[in-house]
Amino acid sequence: MAAAAKGRGVGVRVFLVVFVFISCQSLIDGRNTYKRKLTVQLIHNPTSPPFGSDLLHVRAEGVNDTLHYLFYNQGAPTLLLVHTDSSSSTVKVNWTQFLDRNTSGGLTVEPQSSILYSSAVVFSRLWEYDDVNDTAEASDDFFPPYELQDFSWANVSLSGLTALVCGTAPNTMNGSLCLKLSAFDSEGRDESWPRLLHSANSSQLEVWLNGLLPRGNHSRFMLELQAVSGAYPLSRVDVRQSIDDEYTPSIFKIFQWVSSMNGSSDVLGFVQWKPVAYRKSHPVLEDATPCRHSDPRPQRGEETAASSVLIRAFYSDPEIMGLNVSFGLAGEPFYNSTMFLSWTMLVGVGSPPVDSFSPLVLTIMVVCLGTPLILLLLGGVFVFLYKKRKASTLGYEPVN
Amino acid sequence: MADFGERRNLLGDEDEDEDSFADRQAARGPGRLMAAICDPSRLLHRVVVLFFMCFLGFGSYFCYDNPAALQSQVIQDLNLNTETFMQLYAWYSWPNVVLCFFGGFLLDRVFGIRMGTIIFSLFVCVGQVIFAAGALVNRFWLMEAGRFVFGIGGESLAVAQNTYAVNWFKGKELNLVFGLQLSMARLGSTVNMNIMGWVYNQVALAVGSSGHTALGGSLMIAAATCVFSLICALVLAFLDKRAEKILNKEQGKTGEVIKLTDVKDFPSTLWLIFIICVGYYVAIFPFIGLGQIFFIEKFNFSPTQARAVNSIVYIISAPASPVLGFLVDKTGRNVVWVMIAVIATLAAHIMLAFTFWNPWIAMSLLGVSYSLLACALWPMVAFVVPEHQLGTAYGFMQSIQNLGLAVISITAGAILDSRGYLVLEVFFCACICIALMSVVMLYFVDYIKGGDLNRSAAARAKLLKESTTDAEVRRKPSQVVQSERARLAPMSAFGLRNRYLSRLGAQLPYHCSTHLSSLAHRSVLK
Repeated sequence: MAAAAKGRGVGVRVFLVVFVFISCQSLIDGRNTYKRKLTVQLIHNPTSPPFGSDLLHVRAEGVNDTLHYLFYNQGAPTLLLVHTDSSSSTVKVNWTQFLDRNTSGGLTVEPQSSILYSSAVVFSRLWEYDDVNDTAEASDDFFPPYELQDFSWANVSLSGLTALVCGTAPNTMNGSLCLKLSAFDSEGRDESWPRLLHSANSSQLEVWLNGLLPRGNHSRFMLELQAVSGAYPLSRVDVRQSIDDEYTPSIFKIFQWVSSMNGSSDVLGFVQWKPVAYRKSHPVLEDATPCRHSDPRPQRGEETAASSVLIRAFYSDPEIMGLNVSFGLAGEPFYNSTMFLSWTMLVGVGSPPVDSFSPLVLTIMVVCLGTPLILLLLGGVFVFLYKKRKASTLGYEPVN
Repeated sequence: MADFGERRNLLGDEDEDEDSFADRQAARGPGRLMAAICDPSRLLHRVVVLFFMCFLGFGSYFCYDNPAALQSQVIQDLNLNTETFMQLYAWYSWPNVVLCFFGGFLLDRVFGIRMGTIIFSLFVCVGQVIFAAGALVNRFWLMEAGRFVFGIGGESLAVAQNTYAVNWFKGKELNLVFGLQLSMARLGSTVNMNIMGWVYNQVALAVGSSGHTALGGSLMIAAATCVFSLICALVLAFLDKRAEKILNKEQGKTGEVIKLTDVKDFPSTLWLIFIICVGYYVAIFPFIGLGQIFFIEKFNFSPTQARAVNSIVYIISAPASPVLGFLVDKTGRNVVWVMIAVIATLAAHIMLAFTFWNPWIAMSLLGVSYSLLACALWPMVAFVVPEHQLGTAYGFMQSIQNLGLAVISITAGAILDSRGYLVLEVFFCACICIALMSVVMLYFVDYIKGGDLNRSAAARAKLLKESTTDAEVRRKPSQVVQSERARLAPMSAFGLRNRYLSRLGAQLPYHCSTHLSSLAHRSVLK
């Protein structure tokens, strides 16, 4: 009787676990299998191709909309994102106007009326400061900044859906700043830290500094970002706190630089990142270094347009907001400990993707909390039956 | 209601005292009176001895949690990952897997209590110095070796401390003494958590930069507490030897008898108690070891605040243990209390994992439930196991507790490195759930078997009264033979039980500790 009761208990438990697991899987996988068709091409000037300049165009075609990602490897590195509501929109380049850094309009997306949203992120400067007192407060000990538009950039190397471009600083032998753009056709998660969750409406940019000789003994770096967005500029940085750090151990926050209509909370476009940078290319938990950002502030549009070819070509009168991302806090090791620093961000349209628990965590919690309850229930039933049986065998029957 | 047997022992002691008093008078000769502070039979002298006894364990508890207090510094200065860092805790536990069985034996037969205490204090001191030296020369294997040596001395020193207590204090004083010893131990842990960070910063300033040299320097300063404990051990040995000469009493013994073959006789309820013990403690100590960075990262605490909240478990358990022990004694029903403690700990871990609520709440709850479990769980072993197997049962329980701690410390570090804090907390919740399942099964198994463990205190006292009235009638004629046998037999159940309870902070009021002799006459109860 006891064995049968226990066997029934085990069977019920297994069924419950399997049922919960399957329902969780369908809940998680079935949410957004929206896929886009991606085509990657390098556009060159047909008349006289200047060697070394590549215009990368990634076209992500959906059912009735298209996302265009554009990247040019001359000038300050810029990622331009254009969202159109037609699945047959194209990018047109007027090369003479495009290469002339003083006139705008060289880059257009046809049909112009189909443009829903556009935004661009520019990496304008790399600041370095000597943190003698180890406070990570960047005050006035800045070295002259590296202007990224003056770097000599190599050709874009494509591999599948990722594009890699590296540049070296002027007057330096070794040491490079590299950018890797990854486009995605569906929802997924990157394999390497910080394992940002991406959707089909976003692409990931990884920036890393490798081997650049620091100019001070206690150098820390700061990256200056500038962004422009169609009608509404990227005006504020939201922070989202999460209890879940299983994809980026010990990081519980995620920051989103969003552009939204005045007064509304609908997000038109975003730049998303986690406040962590890594000091090795294949990092372990101890190689993580926290990073901070400053508040977005308006910048001079003319200056940005002068440094970035794509901004000049696409926007006529851009409204630029800029912020600084500084790497390292007080007490953290300096740049010269590993001579490597990498940081990842996600750029996209619409609302940023939201993280959720992995099936593993959910399963463990359900099993762990459910089993004692089931045991309690079964035990109670079993004891009740046992007592009843004992009472019935021990009691004497009346004689008459 | 006092147990007849123990009343007899006390009378025996009083007789002894009167005899030795007469001897003392004779030995001292005419007119030579000692000052109260020098007279081992007077309270003032015993208070002085109590002072040294309490500080005997201070150094060991202070240095045990040094890695947790300096976690980020250790990891950064020596370039470790979390898994390697947790090895420092694992190496403390490994020797105690085996040594739990031999501690009593070494103290009784091989070294004697005085020599044994000095030797174990020496191990603690040397271990901490090796640990600090390893940090100074930046060799991690040397630090692990230091923790291993430290572990050999640490647990056995606690046994010695309790044996001293039982030897010098009797009856109602014993509860107070154990309470004070526990408070000193917790004080050591708390002080360590809160000041080691400051010590490290000062040493780093003095040395010029932070790094493994600063770390080694701070650990050497921590070793000073171990030297202080060693001095206390030497002083205690001297005072004990002196008292032995003056009072003519023999050296204290732990009275522990270990027979590993007894393991096959352990009842199923005892194995469930073992599982509860392992499942519970592996979710407490490794969590405190890794807690500081968790509070800094998730709740945005400053390092000082994080260390303070990490130490709240120890701070709470110092006053809570005597109070909760008294409560558990007054009401009985140990299994229900254990269940409450396990559920409260599960709630605390769930709060820390899944919410951003102020962690002070969860950690205070953890401290209270940790104390409650200690007061309710360890006495249960004495309820299910006969007196002569008690030593083996406790030794086995501590052995597998240390084994569990060693293995889970490393596992926790590995989980944190790869999956982060949420998965680590879920893992700890899973361990607590295993303990919870065992408690539930214990409740039902005990209920089926007749409910020894979950009796209320009143029911136990009633049963005892019935058993002793019968026992009294049967015992009277054989009293003479029995008293002789008592001298050769292992130490009384009272002392043996109190030794282990004190280690975990449980308190048993004098008049309620009588169930063991009822177990010796099991046939009367059934």
